[in-house]
Amino acid sequence: MRARLVPFLVLLAAFAAAPAGAQQGVTDAEILLGGSNSFSGPLAFTGEQMTKYGIDLYFKVVNDGGGIHGRRIRTVYYDDGYKPQEAVANTKKLVEQDRVFAIIAPQGSPPVVATLGYLEEQKVPMLFPYQSSPVTRGKKYVFQGMTVSDRSSVMMIDYLAGQRKYKRFAAIYQDDEYGKSFLTAFEKDLGRHGLKLVASESVKRGVTDVSAQIAKLQAAKPDVTFLVLVPGPAAQALKERQKIGWTTTLMVSTGPLTDERYLALAGEAAEGVEGLSLWPDPLTSELPGVKLYRQHMQKYFPKNEPNRYSIAGYFAGMLFAEGAKRAGRALTRDSLIAALEGIKGFESGILAPLTIGPDHETQKQGFWVRVEKGRFKTLTDWLKSE
Amino acid sequence: MSTAALVHVVVSGLATGSIYALMAISLVIVYNATRTLNFAQGEMLMVSTFVGWTAHQWLRLPLPLIMLVAVVAAALLGWLIERAVIRHSIAATHFDVLIITLGLSLVLRAAAVLAWTHDEFPFPSFFADRPIALGPVRVAPVSLGIIGGSLLLMLALYGLFRGTRLGRAMRAVAQNQRAARLMGISVERVYSASWILAAVVGGIAGVLIAPVIFLSSKMGLVAINGFTAAVLGGFGSMPGAVVGGMLLGVIENLAPLYLPSGIKHSVPFLLMIAILLVRPSGVLGRARRRKV
Repeated sequence: MRARLVPFLVLLAAFAAAPAGAQQGVTDAEILLGGSNSFSGPLAFTGEQMTKYGIDLYFKVVNDGGGIHGRRIRTVYYDDGYKPQEAVANTKKLVEQDRVFAIIAPQGSPPVVATLGYLEEQKVPMLFPYQSSPVTRGKKYVFQGMTVSDRSSVMMIDYLAGQRKYKRFAAIYQDDEYGKSFLTAFEKDLGRHGLKLVASESVKRGVTDVSAQIAKLQAAKPDVTFLVLVPGPAAQALKERQKIGWTTTLMVSTGPLTDERYLALAGEAAEGVEGLSLWPDPLTSELPGVKLYRQHMQKYFPKNEPNRYSIAGYFAGMLFAEGAKRAGRALTRDSLIAALEGIKGFESGILAPLTIGPDHETQKQGFWVRVEKGRFKTLTDWLKSE
Repeated sequence: MSTAALVHVVVSGLATGSIYALMAISLVIVYNATRTLNFAQGEMLMVSTFVGWTAHQWLRLPLPLIMLVAVVAAALLGWLIERAVIRHSIAATHFDVLIITLGLSLVLRAAAVLAWTHDEFPFPSFFADRPIALGPVRVAPVSLGIIGGSLLLMLALYGLFRGTRLGRAMRAVAQNQRAARLMGISVERVYSASWILAAVVGGIAGVLIAPVIFLSSKMGLVAINGFTAAVLGGFGSMPGAVVGGMLLGVIENLAPLYLPSGIKHSVPFLLMIAILLVRPSGVLGRARRRKV
């Protein structure tokens, strides 16, 4: 009989711990944010850069400048190693034990999807998850971080079929959710231009040889070949193209792939590859926000080289700070949501002026780049996705 | 599909197939001597290739020396594993040893992640990626190089097994351990030599394939295809391992040329099941009859 009382008592204690009026995770002196992210597993580098050298970098700047309405921001992160079940456990711990105000920048579609329902039910904001699948749409407490795959597709196809007048498109894609979400979007957007994919070939993770796929694509004579792959296989595909001397197609990589690590793997085979870049070059861009980011990195983490992941985290920190500032001293979850929804033409100095609005998407534009001598060279201004 | 493309795909398949064959050979070497399957073969290859690469990063060694460092590292690792772990389980069942090697593979991979992270790294290659034209056909030097290098290594192994005392001892132990011991062959030495030799073959295979599939803590997975190749050819047979590896590489490449590419990974296994049904001992395996 006593065992039955336990959940009741726990519930009672929970109520007692949260006095009416105060918002969980917000005290007079502090705002507590948390996140489950990859600090081990395949995305460990990304996770570490985004959180400790990105989000926290921006918050150090904010805290040293007196905080937000007198409150310092503190963060706590747990490692999920890109595993959904770990992400769920971590997120529950963050909400129920650490009692965070909001979840910030969790990473990867599977872990993010696994925690979406719980957070929405608990009315805890999930801010700027770093993943590209559209599953985060239409949720009151979720603000998407990375450009969603169908928006990337609109920008890519409109630019290539519209401005550049290419007619024949093909794709080599990862045989999973990531690859397929892009493939579906490409087909839809090509349809708007009265075109279709002339060939598409799939690649599984951990593949040793992509010669057959590349040979089949070459036989279809596409003007443009999309690479919707993770860095390893993508570099293999580019090297394979070099092996057969196939020069009559333009290789275009999808947004998440436009990253220096992949360039390093493919080496000279990456020369001439084009793609949609979602972030300005963190090392060389002269945009005022990027220069400031480099200064801050130099000040707080002089040994850490600027990169796309840390700047993504830095931007997430900046957006949260902007929302919390606008929400005022009486910060609650709902006032934060309303404040973020009200952001119009926000100048970050890093991305194009941002209007969030009811779609809750915080990154809607990218620009076109081409690999020249191992770096991305910018070819266009910000492209539109709506 | 044009003939030129077909030739390229087949040559590329033979190149990957050569690596599968080398993996199969290393598995067979250990199996013949000790009757155990070494599930850590792929991870041993991965570790020795990483060691070679680290030497390259630190000392900017030329490629032949990297190969040498990787081979020495592989030999040491093979010797160490046999000495420190496998020899102590000499009385254990084959199944126990198999689980031990499985555990070793996990340990090695975890250690590699600690030392070299989860990243993928480019690896320097002996051969160029740019194609050379042979008439209407274009082939990549890297494919030809891998095939050539593997064939040379196979020839050297053939020479070792046929022409040297150690090779004969290894074959004798493979045939009948007890008889070999009675003839004065040190079975322990043969065990040790088999592990070292298998590791060295893996080490060379690693340096050959790393420029193609990139260096990462996951690259040991290539050994799985080595198992398939060994079974295809008839487990225990060296020529069978070579034929099985080449067959697997080519079929894996030809299948998606004519079938949807999603099927690529299942074809070799369908083929393996078919061959095992028709010829349970594999393509070149000798049917074993046991007298009752």
